[in-house]
Amino acid sequence: MGKSWLRDYVIKRLIYSIIIAWGILTITFILVRIGPSSPADKYLANIAARGADPVQATAAIEARYGLDKPIYVQYFNYMGNLFRGNWGWSFSTSMPVIELIKTHWIYSFQLILLSSLFAAILGMLIGIYSAVRQYSRMDYTFTFLSFIGISIPNFWLGIMLILFFSVNLGLFKTYYDTTLPLFSLDNLKALILPVITLGTGMLAGYVRYTRSAMLDNLKKPFVTTARSKGLPERTVIGKHVFRNALLPLVTIIMFDLGSIVFGGAYLTEIVFGIPGLGQISFNAIFANDYPVVVAVTLIGTFIVLLVNLATDISYTYLDPRIRYG
Amino acid sequence: MANKLLDALSSVGHRMSSSMRLINYYWQRTKRNKLAVFGLAFIVFLVALAIVGPFFTADPTAVNFDEKEIPPIGFTTQQSMYDIASNTFTTKEVNGTWKHPLGTDSKGSDMMAMIVSGARVSLLVGLIATGIAIILGTIIGVLSAYMGGWVDNALMRFTDIVMTFPFFLLLVLVVFIFGPSLAFIVLAIGLTGWTGTARLLRSESLSIRTREFVTAAKALGATDGRVVFRHLIPNAISLIIIIATLSIPGVILAEAALSFIGLGDPTVPSWGVILESGQHTLDTAWWIAVEPGIMLFLTVLAFNFLGDGLRDAFDPKSNV
Repeated sequence: MGKSWLRDYVIKRLIYSIIIAWGILTITFILVRIGPSSPADKYLANIAARGADPVQATAAIEARYGLDKPIYVQYFNYMGNLFRGNWGWSFSTSMPVIELIKTHWIYSFQLILLSSLFAAILGMLIGIYSAVRQYSRMDYTFTFLSFIGISIPNFWLGIMLILFFSVNLGLFKTYYDTTLPLFSLDNLKALILPVITLGTGMLAGYVRYTRSAMLDNLKKPFVTTARSKGLPERTVIGKHVFRNALLPLVTIIMFDLGSIVFGGAYLTEIVFGIPGLGQISFNAIFANDYPVVVAVTLIGTFIVLLVNLATDISYTYLDPRIRYG
Repeated sequence: MANKLLDALSSVGHRMSSSMRLINYYWQRTKRNKLAVFGLAFIVFLVALAIVGPFFTADPTAVNFDEKEIPPIGFTTQQSMYDIASNTFTTKEVNGTWKHPLGTDSKGSDMMAMIVSGARVSLLVGLIATGIAIILGTIIGVLSAYMGGWVDNALMRFTDIVMTFPFFLLLVLVVFIFGPSLAFIVLAIGLTGWTGTARLLRSESLSIRTREFVTAAKALGATDGRVVFRHLIPNAISLIIIIATLSIPGVILAEAALSFIGLGDPTVPSWGVILESGQHTLDTAWWIAVEPGIMLFLTVLAFNFLGDGLRDAFDPKSNV
């Protein structure tokens, strides 16, 4: 037996992830190529607006980006460049896309990290409470509130928070102050409203998931066993029920990253003017800066891919019952 | 001949009465969930508003700068006006009027008219895009389960790839590349949002396939097509209805979010477009951002309530 099944499994997952990565890049390449206007057209419009000769400029751009070569050569160049870290040139900010991302990712990261912590901790606590006191008045209240949290459009919630706390009460600035040092109390204060904006939907989701995962396990025979052994209720809930509920919960939380969190962070950054990846993609849309929009989507997708891989592999440690062939 | 016609008619009649009985049964179960009934009532109200509302309200695109930023009825705001003749700012008190019950926006367009025409946009986008996603997901899921082998493998790996893309980021990329026309936005949401349906339908079909009645139908010589359309899909219909109801709010929000970041159709006043314009006038005219947001919120809430109620009602294990 040993650990060889684990090594085989990890290798299998790695190969699988590489195939998915190839698929992602290929789909993106096809999307960009079949679009009604090529990246060069958008670049061209930009140059022509500054008074360049369009014919000359077109030829120059096509040569510069290899767009005059056959499509399969372009495809291999595109793949090769991405792997070598050459993600293109952002003309609206006049710097390589990879540099742009290096300077801005931290803003998205801090927002997503703080919101996830806020949502996961509070969500699990409320979820556990709701499940243990199922059908109590508080359970109904939390269930109702979680419906509201899931349904509230997060960009609108952000605007409402700004309207109430910043415009009316003057407690916060209406815009995120980029001059603040990252690790400071002022920065933390500036992130309160954005974290609530992004975290509310996640929080509501986690309350519902935790509650249902806990309820699934509360009725299982091993809980009765634990209780009949005379274990204190706190140990039964914390060690037996919650531990078992955690695994499906982690799956859903990881799945949320791609489906809810990244989109929500994108919008939250725009509402509050936080200069993260969502914001640079938003600015790039208006500047027709093709490589930046593509790069932000690709980064989000690859993070989801890596997180999925990490989740799959960590399962084998989290749940010793799992054995994959 | 006449006999055959009668047979066909009675078979249709039988099927209709049995499906009416089923609908009635599920309605009785759904009805017990008060929130689901509220959700359904709000959706019916919204559909009525979207269909007949535009005939009663003013032109949502009419511009009148003399009547800009009038507050909703019952509210009063201070408007500062620049007077060229005296080169001074004067402050004027503006009250809400019954002519514009929900106020006006920064161009003087009637908010009520804009909200009503926005309802039309949101519902159309929600229904059509969800329809596309569900049909596509069902085809791929059923095909995958039924064909098995390499077709199943290829389709599911393709689903995995599309699923890895964060939904909103993929949508932004696609709409950015192909341009923001409403028809295209609907198509893009439909073409990117089918993955969950495909997976659920695949596993549902796999489990239905092994049931006795499918084996019996096959033994009686039913073709693959007949098994799929007469047995697989009708048995998965409750699942499809639940997925649809729970997908619509996400789709409506996606369209609003796209409009909000400037990737909406500029020719259509959807709720997201109004919301975006209101973000810049929070200190002078808060209602422009508040009103479409409330409608968006209530609509999404209503679909979530209904979807949840339906899920409980369709679940034979739950005793609502």
